[in-house]
Amino acid sequence: MSRRESDPRDAELHAFLRQAITRRGFIQRSALGAGGLVLGNSLLAACGGGKEGAPAAGADSTAATAAAGGKKLRISNWPLYIDKQTVPDFEKATGIKTEYTEDINDNGEFFAKIDEPLKRNQSIDRDIIVLTDWMAGRLINLGYVAPLDDAKFPNKANLVDSVKDVSFDPGRKYSVPWLSGMTGIGYNPKKTGRELTSINDIFDPKFKGQVTMLTEMRDTLGLVMLGQGKDPTKATKADVAAAAAKIKKARTGGQIRKFTGNDYAEDLAAGNIAIAFAWSGDIQGLAADNPDLRWIAPKEGAMLYSDNMLIPKTSDRKDEAMAWINYVYDPKHSAQIVAGAPYLSAAKGTGAELAKIAPDLAKSSLVNPPDELRARLHVFRALSDAEDTEFNRIFQDAIGA
Amino acid sequence: MAGTASGGSRRSRLAPYLLVAPGVLWLVVFFVVPTITLAQTSLTGVDGGWSAYHRALTSYGTHFFRSFRYALAATLLALALGYPLAYFIAFRAGRLKNLLLGLVVLPFFTTFLVRTFAWKTILNDGGPAVWLLQRLHILGASGRLLDTTVAVVGGLTYNFLPFMILPIYVSLEKIDRRLVEAAEDLYSTPVGAFRKVVLPLSLPGVFAGSLLTFIPAAGDFINAQLLGSPNQQMIGTVIQNQFLEVRDYPLAASLSFVLMAVITIGVLAYARALGTEDIA
Repeated sequence: MSRRESDPRDAELHAFLRQAITRRGFIQRSALGAGGLVLGNSLLAACGGGKEGAPAAGADSTAATAAAGGKKLRISNWPLYIDKQTVPDFEKATGIKTEYTEDINDNGEFFAKIDEPLKRNQSIDRDIIVLTDWMAGRLINLGYVAPLDDAKFPNKANLVDSVKDVSFDPGRKYSVPWLSGMTGIGYNPKKTGRELTSINDIFDPKFKGQVTMLTEMRDTLGLVMLGQGKDPTKATKADVAAAAAKIKKARTGGQIRKFTGNDYAEDLAAGNIAIAFAWSGDIQGLAADNPDLRWIAPKEGAMLYSDNMLIPKTSDRKDEAMAWINYVYDPKHSAQIVAGAPYLSAAKGTGAELAKIAPDLAKSSLVNPPDELRARLHVFRALSDAEDTEFNRIFQDAIGA
Repeated sequence: MAGTASGGSRRSRLAPYLLVAPGVLWLVVFFVVPTITLAQTSLTGVDGGWSAYHRALTSYGTHFFRSFRYALAATLLALALGYPLAYFIAFRAGRLKNLLLGLVVLPFFTTFLVRTFAWKTILNDGGPAVWLLQRLHILGASGRLLDTTVAVVGGLTYNFLPFMILPIYVSLEKIDRRLVEAAEDLYSTPVGAFRKVVLPLSLPGVFAGSLLTFIPAAGDFINAQLLGSPNQQMIGTVIQNQFLEVRDYPLAASLSFVLMAVITIGVLAYARALGTEDIA
């Protein structure tokens, strides 16, 4: 039991750290765009210096032939969750024309989009999708996910030990992590007037109307539970009810100003709020504009989340999908991805490769958390569908939605 | 006359149906069918039958009342702001008429979401609106606008204002000016002429405008989400959450039906009260 719980932590921590910054930071802005989320590979190539033309010109005959033969791959991922060079590099190396789309903004919303077609065994026009642990678990349970073909995945040997055997996918038969990140507390020391160390600082009456929490149930409930001395990896209904009651009281009393997606970042930067439940990477991103802002993993602990690559069962390009998964599990390639999206990778050797191309980033605790920090990270317990609905109902009532 | 009728009567009798067919088909496929599906979904609650409706009515009464209160406030505000403007454009704008109408529509060139986000910037704690109101001592030093009822109702009013202005403008524009002249010839004061002639003739516009403002405002969830705190959430936010986050489809569907029913009843009552027989 303890092994199973400690395992996901390391691996997920790796993945988590990278993702927090770019992925979450972009959600808000992308919501604004009138559907301008699609970054076609040609655009990526253009950003990367227009290298796409090379293989097509015939310099690389295998690539050209393969492209002509129609080898294609369609990937859906969260926004700003990758560097600019990996997709064109992959196309060049394999000859697989890749359509990389940043159209996943919310686990629940994305699920609502793909549930019907997958239930009817119809194509969702995607060969790889990237979803958070609990949602990945739900899709696997529903039988929506094709098993990974280990024969085409030699780099699976690079999978970090701690994530090899997660509760929602023992043995990693259906999923492997893309990247992971942490949820803790972000604050503006100028507005709080002091350093914060505890989750419960968010309930300090001094900050009435100046704090926000996240609409992501597992993050917010998990942190409040940690503040109450409860362990989110073993969350019971009573724990959830107690945490929800505390949140509801703070909400109706005006302590909590808002429950947010990652729009807390703007409010924090604009000085509307002093403290927020926050994703580690966002604050790192904001610190460029507002160096005052700080992100901490509170002394009671922080939450860890991880996003996983899945192949929908209706994909007719499973070999191409496996080629991609194998490709990104080469530590050289994963280091390149992390350099562009500073989160935690679950590929062994990424740190060493990253030190070669981005030595400063490789030392950051966001990409390479020290053991002391790792020990304080928690993953919310895997919930059954019925539990998920029940906890969600309690949580939605608490946040007044 | 008889000769042409014998040849073309069948076709001319069919013509109206053929003209209506595409629209009807569209509505059947994209409105009637989904509505029936929604109705079926609403009756599949965990305890069967009408249980979802029971929960919708017992647990979310506050949200319904709040939504209607906010929508009503926004409609009245939009009327107060929109009527004088529409009147000015229709009767006094002269050459500027088209320019002013263009300006009324201009905000639609950006998306709804962006316009609402813009309000966030304006209403920031450190923003111009708070600064001004604090200087005028309307707002206390620690007061705020963002994430309050004022912000939500203001956002609703702003976002739906053009839907109020345009129908009122159209009805005012149609009024025969000679009727006003006639009233004045008969020794009516300008105020009297307005009250007895212009206002009654513009009521269909007021009716249409207030419906076009009230109905979407009551179901709106963006303004409450972006400009309100959790204590200002409206029924639209609840429905969105139940559909996408909680995935309690029966509850979400029954909430939608309750909202639809209340609005329909309200509209019929309003139509009767205003006495616009061509609509009711």
